[in-house]
Amino acid sequence: MIYAHILVIMHVKVTVKRPYSILFLFGYLRDTMKRWGLEKTPINTEPFRKGYAPLYQDFRSFYTRHVYTRFRDVFNRPICSAPSTTISLKHRVSDDNNITFRYTGKVIKALNMGSFNYLGFADNKGPCADASEEATRKFGCAVASTRHEIGNMRIHHELESTVAEFLGTEAACVFGMGFASNVLNMPCLVGKGSLIISDEQNHTSLILGSILTGSTVQVFKHNDMIDLERKVRDAVINGQPKTGRQWKKILIVVEGVYSVEGSICKLHDIIRIKKKYKAYIYLDEAHSVGALGTNGRGALDYWGCDPNDVDILMGTFTKSFGSAGGYIAGSKTVIDRLKSRSHSMCYGTSMPAPVAQQIITSMNIIMGKDGTDLGMRRAGQLAWNVRYIRRRLMEMGFIIYGNMDSPVVPLIIFSIAKLAAFSRQCLKRGLVTVVVGYPATPLIECRARFCMSANHTKESIDKALSIIDEVGDLLQLKYSRMKIKPEVTDLDEDFRKRSDP
Amino acid sequence: MNVGVVPNGPNPNATYFNSKGMWLTYVMVVAFIHYIILSLPWLTVAWAWTVTNIIHNAVMYLILHLSKGTPFETADQGQSRFRTVWEQLDYGVQYSPTKKFLTVVPIVLFFLASFYTQSAALHFGINTVSLLTVILPKLPMFHGVRIFGINKY
Repeated sequence: MIYAHILVIMHVKVTVKRPYSILFLFGYLRDTMKRWGLEKTPINTEPFRKGYAPLYQDFRSFYTRHVYTRFRDVFNRPICSAPSTTISLKHRVSDDNNITFRYTGKVIKALNMGSFNYLGFADNKGPCADASEEATRKFGCAVASTRHEIGNMRIHHELESTVAEFLGTEAACVFGMGFASNVLNMPCLVGKGSLIISDEQNHTSLILGSILTGSTVQVFKHNDMIDLERKVRDAVINGQPKTGRQWKKILIVVEGVYSVEGSICKLHDIIRIKKKYKAYIYLDEAHSVGALGTNGRGALDYWGCDPNDVDILMGTFTKSFGSAGGYIAGSKTVIDRLKSRSHSMCYGTSMPAPVAQQIITSMNIIMGKDGTDLGMRRAGQLAWNVRYIRRRLMEMGFIIYGNMDSPVVPLIIFSIAKLAAFSRQCLKRGLVTVVVGYPATPLIECRARFCMSANHTKESIDKALSIIDEVGDLLQLKYSRMKIKPEVTDLDEDFRKRSDP
Repeated sequence: MNVGVVPNGPNPNATYFNSKGMWLTYVMVVAFIHYIILSLPWLTVAWAWTVTNIIHNAVMYLILHLSKGTPFETADQGQSRFRTVWEQLDYGVQYSPTKKFLTVVPIVLFFLASFYTQSAALHFGINTVSLLTVILPKLPMFHGVRIFGINKY
């Protein structure tokens, strides 16, 4: 397990502040000119009404107008095909500096390295799509009710037993929305008087769910087990802050794979801490289920841990199964309680039949129940792809965050100005990437995030790597000081063995 | 545009000054501007230091204590709308490392200016007034205080 350590050069830390300062200075200048009437405002402005306070503060949209709008064309690109390894984008141009876009009617076909399509089930052809079509004809598209009322179909029960079998737990329950699975179910599990200790880099849904529970929330440093153990020990010794009473429950909330950093949680250590101090674990496997492990069962498979050790396993079906929705799996008593108490079960419409059928078919393929070894081959192919691209990118000299096995590959582009250039240059050469910058990341750590898929062939990865190499040379993104010698390529033989049909 | 997600917290404006290399950049920018002012031929060394002191404190006051709110929509339900940037730093926690650093820099500049102006009365007066305008709002007892209603909304 190798963690890529960043050797950040001093001049990078200082010079990446320059784009922000230039953009802000020009923004102030333009705003002043607009206020003095020297420049026309191209967007709608609030009409001034005498005696009324203004609705909006113009400073609140400063960043959007002067920084984000300048490279708005690299975000929210509309697609017009299924998000498989090649994706079609609608070509758009802007005549007024990205304030409005105009579609030219052309379609750009490019290599797709931005979709969460880890096992390649997000295609619109194949056994999953056929089964979903049949389910639509049988059950219809809509359910039109909640699980507690009249929307409980036998396909949901089939899905729940499939999920429980897939993960190796006693029972599971499924919900129509992945984000809501976290937000609406954490309040059923813990409440006031409990303590939630969550990782620094947890997803917004986990943060929102933790806030909604009403319990005290503490944060430990990202993947730092010493910090976690200290916090758990302090919590057990000191109890609740004012009264000194024992905490009702201590829940440790972690994710399998963190999609911002690309790191994998240290599950065996967390289980050791949990057993020593009698806490509970909530593992969010949104990005790791299907994508990690030899059998594709997620972080537990990857670390070789027992599913009974982790109390609550949560995941989503959007990333590896090409569908929508989320699940929570665990012991039968917990799941029975969730099914009766969860807001999502009671008030949220249940999952439509074709969506559920897609998950059932894809899970059966991964488990090998359809008779072929397509699932195992895909999981192996994904693992090979991940290792290959990480090794090649690090050899080229880019700084890549995260664990060597995580399918999320963040490539650090320190400067926000190079962010836009990277995305546009890659698209010009035929590669679609997702780039993310401040304020969603730290100030100087803007990054491009590649998500590997089992459907990426070695040729397509090589083509993507040559594009990234070219763009990296053009923009001088090869900051890494870690010298990695190119390994002997016996991986080619391994690849040929895997991809023999 | 995603604001208020990890890892910056609900208000990225509160933590941007803790970023890697921010302190160094700040010191370098001040040194650079001082170098430019020193190169102006009609200013003596004493006046160059005083002018640097005045400009630095004025700009810091504008950035930290006069501008309120955030340049983006935050996820903290508008709590930072009427707070100055100084009050937003580190989510209102007092005596944080950033706040200590930002308090020390004008004081160091004041010492340097007093040294280079040999504490002449006029320079000393100007520098002291300038220092006070930028130190007083930083004191914890002035957190959220608006004198005479200036800068309230």
